[in-house]
Amino acid sequence: MPNPFDVLLHHSEPIDPTLWEWIEDKIHDVLGIDSAVAVLVIGLLMIAFPLAVLVLAVRKQRRSK
Amino acid sequence: MSESKRGGIFYGWYVVAALFFASFLAIGSRQGFGVFVKTWEEEWGVTTAAISVAAAIGWLANGLSQPLVGYLTDKYGGRPVLVISLAVMAVATIAVATVSNVVGLIVLYGFVISFASGGISPATTGVVIARWFDRRRGTAMSVLIAGGSVGGLVVVPFLSFVLVEFSWQTAWIIVGVLALGLGIPLLLLVVRSRPQDMGLNIDGDVSPVEGSADQQVKVQPVGQKFVERWQEALESKPIWQLSFAYFVCGITTASISVHYVRWAVSEDISTGTAALAFGVLSGINAGGVLVVGWLSDKFQRKKLLGAVYLVRGVAFLSLIFLPGASALWAFAVIGGMSWLATVPLTASLTADVYGVRNLGTLFGLANMSHQIGGAASVMLFGWAFTQLGSYDLAFGVGAATLLAAGFVSLSIKEKQFSVRYAPVVPEGAATDSKD
Repeated sequence: MPNPFDVLLHHSEPIDPTLWEWIEDKIHDVLGIDSAVAVLVIGLLMIAFPLAVLVLAVRKQRRSK
Repeated sequence: MSESKRGGIFYGWYVVAALFFASFLAIGSRQGFGVFVKTWEEEWGVTTAAISVAAAIGWLANGLSQPLVGYLTDKYGGRPVLVISLAVMAVATIAVATVSNVVGLIVLYGFVISFASGGISPATTGVVIARWFDRRRGTAMSVLIAGGSVGGLVVVPFLSFVLVEFSWQTAWIIVGVLALGLGIPLLLLVVRSRPQDMGLNIDGDVSPVEGSADQQVKVQPVGQKFVERWQEALESKPIWQLSFAYFVCGITTASISVHYVRWAVSEDISTGTAALAFGVLSGINAGGVLVVGWLSDKFQRKKLLGAVYLVRGVAFLSLIFLPGASALWAFAVIGGMSWLATVPLTASLTADVYGVRNLGTLFGLANMSHQIGGAASVMLFGWAFTQLGSYDLAFGVGAATLLAAGFVSLSIKEKQFSVRYAPVVPEGAATDSKD
């Protein structure tokens, strides 16, 4: 019987480590980029999105006043 | 006339974008837990099962927190609940970097982070969206839900790369700092619990006295089943119909998430191919949820909800009747179309029928039934496979429950009870939103 603690729901549960290991290999095979570059690129995107939303929303608030 | 028709983007979409980022961080970091399991095993000298205890407790804490955070959202508004939840989650996430054993992980991840992240779930974010959107509620909800999917697709690889380049501690610190440094300011500066807090109307509609300094806030109609107290909803049929169907959603998604790859291996399909098929399923679901959300603003939501369950039922039948590899890909494509689509439909329909005043509590209860169904099915599917050596009976039960969920959803009297089809102006012109 599988370990019931391995629950992996579709909304927010931890990814299966075995599945992730396989996906990770595929990412490296396909993109072939250095981890540091990947951290930098994805990190910048993760910072840029909320900053852009923040700037646009505050501008919208000021225009509405 | 709506704000957008006057040339600007309705402010509600900025709220959606801010909540999208909060969901992105909360769900992405929870899913990222799996990335660190092998590292912790080696560093702490523990087994996968020991670490899984933290994940299991986290799953339960997250499920149990939903009605509570939903109730708090109904009582105090979504913004304070979201800000406090994300702040607690962020601090606990940074604190995980100091952990050196499973007990610490159980306390911080299993209890604190998982409970707090329940405050950034559809039980809270969905309520905020429902108060900002009426005509495009389904579309807005689906964009929000897609944020969780994108979080998994982006944050999990990011954490993995940070792990390779730096350390697992750095990965947790970065996520916590992102939540504190960007997530909290975004929620504080952009999100408002309801449009009236900014002098706006739902959907950005302008008041009849457009342009006047003391512009009046438009009174929102409600559905015939609108309830002042959440307990009153339990005396009507739609909440039980929706919760039953959502319970089945939990049964059929949790079981597949855990048993899909195991089933594939039992059919002599490689783990890699099964993982790829599951990845395809995840990719299709992000597109599927957006399409279904958009369609739900055009057509009756119950018809789409019923169709989603029936389509998923067909996917389950394909696992029984098609040969191994064909079944694998048929399920990935057919099942992917229905995977997340139930969330915006169930939340929107609950809001349409009962109003948004108690939506957090009611949808929180539905979410809890979803989690209970999921937990039970994971164990029962495993038990059935162990006893019978085949998943056919379990998949058959899954298909039968989906068939039932489909017909129960279709039997909801949406045209009679939904505010979209039978709007009623509340007595004393009280608004549906929390006063």
